[in-house]
Amino acid sequence: MKNNAVIPSSAWIFLIWLILMTLLPFSLILGMSFLQRTDLGNIVFAFSLKNYQQLFDWVYFKVLLKTLWLAFGATLSCLMIGFPVAYFLARVQGPMKSIGLILLFIPFWTNFILRIYGIVSLFGSNGLFNQLLASVGAPQASILYTRWGVYLGLVYNYLPFLVVPIYSSLEKLDPFLREAASDLGATRFQTFRKVILPNIKEGVLIGSLFVFIPMLGEYVIPDLLGGAKEAFLGKVMVEQFFILQDWPLGSAIATVLSVLLLGALWLQNRWTSKNQQPQSQELGHAI
Amino acid sequence: MLLHLEAVTKSFEGFQLHPLTLSVERGEFFSLLGPSGCGKTTVLRLIGGFETPTSGRVILNDQDITRLPPHKRNVHTVFQRYALFPHLTVSENVAFPLHLKKLPSAEISERVKESLKLVEIEDLQDRRIHQISGGQAQRTALARALVGKPELVLLDEPLSALDPELRMKMREELKTICKKVGITFLLVTHDQEEALQLSDRIAVFKSGQCLQVGTPKSIYEDPSDTFVARFIGAVNEIPGDIQGEASSETGEIALSSPLGVFKLKKNGHSLPKQVSVILRPEKMRLLRSKSTTQENLMEGEIQDLIYLGSRTEYAVKIGQSTFKVFEQELERLKKRRLNVGDRVFLAWRGDDAIVLPQST
Repeated sequence: MKNNAVIPSSAWIFLIWLILMTLLPFSLILGMSFLQRTDLGNIVFAFSLKNYQQLFDWVYFKVLLKTLWLAFGATLSCLMIGFPVAYFLARVQGPMKSIGLILLFIPFWTNFILRIYGIVSLFGSNGLFNQLLASVGAPQASILYTRWGVYLGLVYNYLPFLVVPIYSSLEKLDPFLREAASDLGATRFQTFRKVILPNIKEGVLIGSLFVFIPMLGEYVIPDLLGGAKEAFLGKVMVEQFFILQDWPLGSAIATVLSVLLLGALWLQNRWTSKNQQPQSQELGHAI
Repeated sequence: MLLHLEAVTKSFEGFQLHPLTLSVERGEFFSLLGPSGCGKTTVLRLIGGFETPTSGRVILNDQDITRLPPHKRNVHTVFQRYALFPHLTVSENVAFPLHLKKLPSAEISERVKESLKLVEIEDLQDRRIHQISGGQAQRTALARALVGKPELVLLDEPLSALDPELRMKMREELKTICKKVGITFLLVTHDQEEALQLSDRIAVFKSGQCLQVGTPKSIYEDPSDTFVARFIGAVNEIPGDIQGEASSETGEIALSSPLGVFKLKKNGHSLPKQVSVILRPEKMRLLRSKSTTQENLMEGEIQDLIYLGSRTEYAVKIGQSTFKVFEQELERLKKRRLNVGDRVFLAWRGDDAIVLPQST
């Protein structure tokens, strides 16, 4: 594929925006990650890989692994809850569909921070959840300010972002495919496994990456729901910048995160391009 | 008798299928013909199992399948938009029903090959669905429906998504393929020419009701009502009143109409007083001058003509109505060339006319 086209003038605005807002800051971060700092937090312009070495210290590496693991688990949970929801929304017709979709999006009319505080009040020691537990005589569950709190917050917040791509790929699916499969002898389960699933696989993968990627860099949720003990990559990074005044190390963490994101995006790109090969040139002289 | 519908009805919002009783013989090519919204697709979906009848029974091969889900029926469908599986190749699509039957893979590949050969797309077997044209998709869908050797194949407007030229070609090939495989076919179409060309028998539908079942010839030559007559082929209509009784020797009856008095043949049906006389364009002759003839004559003026090579189609204005007449070009050189505005006479024989009760 050659792309020799002259860039249209409207695209320049976008390009300049991209350079100013993404490429430039990213280059600054990348550059900074190879610098050092004095004990007072002043930056020393001397090339060094010390920051990256530091990341492989168990202290930081553990955080990285834990973050990956938690994001992965939360994505999987989103998938397990979100898939049936998306499937239901795509199958159901009439008012149930609109009600379902509205319910899915209503939380987004509320401020993100408020929603997180909503979770805090629901799951706090005097929250509705623990009151319910108490009323049936069960012991209190301390979810808040543990990794389960972070996990809950992640799943709750990112669920719709997974439901939507799965829902839309189900909606795009020709409804006659289901009928054709059943017509040719497939049971409902076979239809799902052999026809529906292979055709929405892409939507599911994209949706999963869609939630997995931002989860990795999440700061607010671990900060508000995880408490002081729970180190999370995004949180550690912010701390480097604003509390410990170690901008070069913070930049190194940011760079590692960005590389992870780019890797995930590259994977996603590969999956999608594999399944959508360009139209055959021979199409022209087909009957 | 392979398929029998027994007083089948279906109603949903805004539509009702009147009790339908219909039989399709084994090996027959049967068509359901009608305009869109007439219920023909509903009938097909009832047979395929995608809908359940409100009442009545569907019997396939002496077995009541009324409530059987689609995957348990030995009936396969070629869908209007083919519904090929986009994640599979052409040959994987065709193999799909065989894999479900868990046949040994040697047999699967054998039968897939055979099917692809039948529809002449062996060389496309490894193509993806988005890499083939409409006509090729049509063939793939047909191969997929035939490969499982079902008792009945349902064709849901299979040619309507193709462009006209390809449609004509595919129509002929479809006929050849159907004759070759000897399976029973049930076609749903709104294209009367398609139904006439392909079918052994046709059922004509209008707003949820089956009006007539018959061979293409009987439906064209002897339609049961004016709707069927108008739907199959071009018609000219003369509304009028029957005058008196049929004469006993000739069986002739007289029709008085705004266009004059005409002689008709009594055809056995008992007719009401008010009738519609249907004349097919090819059953009328165009005369340059008034001649003495036993036929009915009408005088008019040429309003329009379309030269089509093998024939010319004329629109002749008589009184307030316009008549369509086809003239074969076989004697053209002998005849005077006609132009718009020329006075002409239309001659037709009483026994070529179809006499039907006037539709309300």
